Amino acid sequence: MNFDWTDQERSLRTRVAEVFDESARQELDLMEDAQPSELKEIVSKYLKPLAGTGYLELAVGLPDRGGMTALIAAQELPARISGSLFLSVEVTARIFAGLLSVPDAPEQIREILEAVSKGEIVGAAAVTEPALPDSAAVMTTAAWPDGDHYLVSGRKDFVTNGPIADYTAVVGLVEENPAVFVVEAGSDGLLVGPRIRTLGYNGLAVSSLELNECRVPRSRVLGPFTDGAVLDGIRLVQDLILAVASVGLMQRTTDAAKAYSRSHERGGKPVAAHQEIRFKLAEMLTLTHAAQLLTHRAGWMYAEAEREAETLVRCAKVFAAEASERTANLAMQILAGQGYVWGNVVERGYREAKYAALAGTTSEIARMSIADDLLTRYR
Amino acid sequence: MDFALTEEQLMFKEQVLKFARKEIVPRVREHDLEARFDRQSWKRLGEFGILGMHFPEELGGSGADVVTSVLAAEALGEAGVDGGLTLSFGAHTYLCADTIFSHGSDAQRQKYIPKLARGDWIGCMGLTEPGAGSDVASLRTRAVRQGDRWILNGSKMFITNGAIADVAVIYAKTDPSAGHAGISAFIVEKGTPGFTVSRSLNKMGVRTSPTSELVFDDCAIPVENLLGQEGNGFLMAMQTVEWDRSALLAPFLGAISFLIERCGTYAWEREQFGRPIASFQAVKHKLADLKIFLEAARPLVYRIAWCKDQGRPLNHLEAAVAKLFIGDWSLAPTNDAMLLLGGYGYCHEYDVERVFRDSRLAPIGGGTSDVQKVLISRLM
Repeated sequence: MNFDWTDQERSLRTRVAEVFDESARQELDLMEDAQPSELKEIVSKYLKPLAGTGYLELAVGLPDRGGMTALIAAQELPARISGSLFLSVEVTARIFAGLLSVPDAPEQIREILEAVSKGEIVGAAAVTEPALPDSAAVMTTAAWPDGDHYLVSGRKDFVTNGPIADYTAVVGLVEENPAVFVVEAGSDGLLVGPRIRTLGYNGLAVSSLELNECRVPRSRVLGPFTDGAVLDGIRLVQDLILAVASVGLMQRTTDAAKAYSRSHERGGKPVAAHQEIRFKLAEMLTLTHAAQLLTHRAGWMYAEAEREAETLVRCAKVFAAEASERTANLAMQILAGQGYVWGNVVERGYREAKYAALAGTTSEIARMSIADDLLTRYR
Repeated sequence: MDFALTEEQLMFKEQVLKFARKEIVPRVREHDLEARFDRQSWKRLGEFGILGMHFPEELGGSGADVVTSVLAAEALGEAGVDGGLTLSFGAHTYLCADTIFSHGSDAQRQKYIPKLARGDWIGCMGLTEPGAGSDVASLRTRAVRQGDRWILNGSKMFITNGAIADVAVIYAKTDPSAGHAGISAFIVEKGTPGFTVSRSLNKMGVRTSPTSELVFDDCAIPVENLLGQEGNGFLMAMQTVEWDRSALLAPFLGAISFLIERCGTYAWEREQFGRPIASFQAVKHKLADLKIFLEAARPLVYRIAWCKDQGRPLNHLEAAVAKLFIGDWSLAPTNDAMLLLGGYGYCHEYDVERVFRDSRLAPIGGGTSDVQKVLISRLM
């Protein structure tokens, strides 16, 4: 047991922390009002220095213990500063690259992965379909072999980074088996839908995608796979990312509420002096600690491939997501009218907090899965 | 970061589980119902070596580390040992015996620790008073030096094991003008003239653990019964907080595992509308919430234990966070567990209502949730 950062974990944290100075914070705030073209520029700007820290290439492919715990230790930093940037980077480095990281991938795929680790490209993953938000097993996007190519047709929804991606990993079926098609931006037959306006994380570019007999060379296709393991693995990674994003959100809103409660006065003293305010802060901090440690432990279990890893990741995701909603709610109450004004950290956090509970594995599906795992033991 | 437990730790936890299920759990219902301390179970705990496991071997312990101590306490709860017995154990071992071990002279250690580690003697600790709880500086029990004796006057309230204890660590003011620095600790043995148990309290939960009011009326003890240095009592009391937030919280974690087992088993047995209720989402939801709370609470408690094993001073913020989280966030899942069993959950023989009652102590004992919030908001 060790609750401290190891040297490897601390050193990555330090390097990643150096990427985000005060000017970075201000610039990242601007993401929330930016157009996709500007977003691409901002995300690319941070991918490069992050690549220099080794952050982007971690935990892609097979779980690697040192890499995974170092990653979780470092992920908290961008997650605390900007949820939009964090999610955009993680979709590129962990979800897009994760889908591509299979043993014996073709040369072209390995080159794309190399470009990800160097921070040269933005990636997106197109898994979800309009009618099938949770079961990747019965999707309608399908592909047919056509000489050296596949022809891919289908419609994908909620593609994070869709409008700004250089490459998109599209999951579709070849006959009945899933395969991953790496589609380059601007390909014929690839139609990027209009950016979807969402409640929160307005600095994320999200869209639908339509593929009409889009030709993808076999050298950029992985699979077809005989099982859905590759997708299940990605879903777990996505849930972990959302747990970390929630912890970052809790830290961000707690920081803001704490600062406000010290500077704002009522009854001749800072509002932080009143129990009605300070007890809320105590609750926020307690939830943050609990969510953070649970997420660390879940990430460690994932890296160790412990038997309960999947359940722990789901526990972390549900808990952190719901705790972040509670925390954002309390922060808003502390800032009162100031918090309700559009665009401040707490108002933004309040809108963002809903995301983690419904993205990835929804809280409902996650709870059923946690319970099913327990119930198999007592049958 | 690394959350792995060692093979030895896991094996020991497994042994405690087996032992407790066989030797102790069958006796729990009867004793809880009668609010009676279970001497036979106590004896077994002593024989098994749990009551003094972290003490060195020469004093009757087995030199266990704090994480192992936490796992053992967790295992007791997980097996289904009631919160009364685990509380008696916690107060005895960590609040009484450990204070004598950590601050006592060699003679005091030799005299008390082996007896306490074996369970031949039972220990208690007296800090809280009718008018002084978390506000320790306001305690009013007085100790006045007269020649080679200390004379104690005052009363202590909510003293776990008070009525059954053979030896008590009692905190009293030796210098009323000095605030925290005017508090000292004393060892008082049962039967000392002037030391009486005035009444035992009838409680909602942890019923097998007697909770008593102690009265000191010109109670004279030898000077050598001062524990540690005069005026150091507050610091000594604060040191027990490390144990209080680790080994004493651990049975609450174990109790959640126990509830998960009870609920999981019941959900398959109980059929309604032609199928086991395990197939209903509302039942699964409750089960999942028990698990989520358990896993969120665990590392908070392990962290306190691990830091103590590293020899670090207690991080009071982290300790208060662990206490507040377990106290307040255990209320809903323990309630859910009772609801999951419906009418049976409300009945004694299904054990779930006992855990519900026992766990209501978590946000109260050892500093209420409000007091934890005072601490956290001050320290953050």
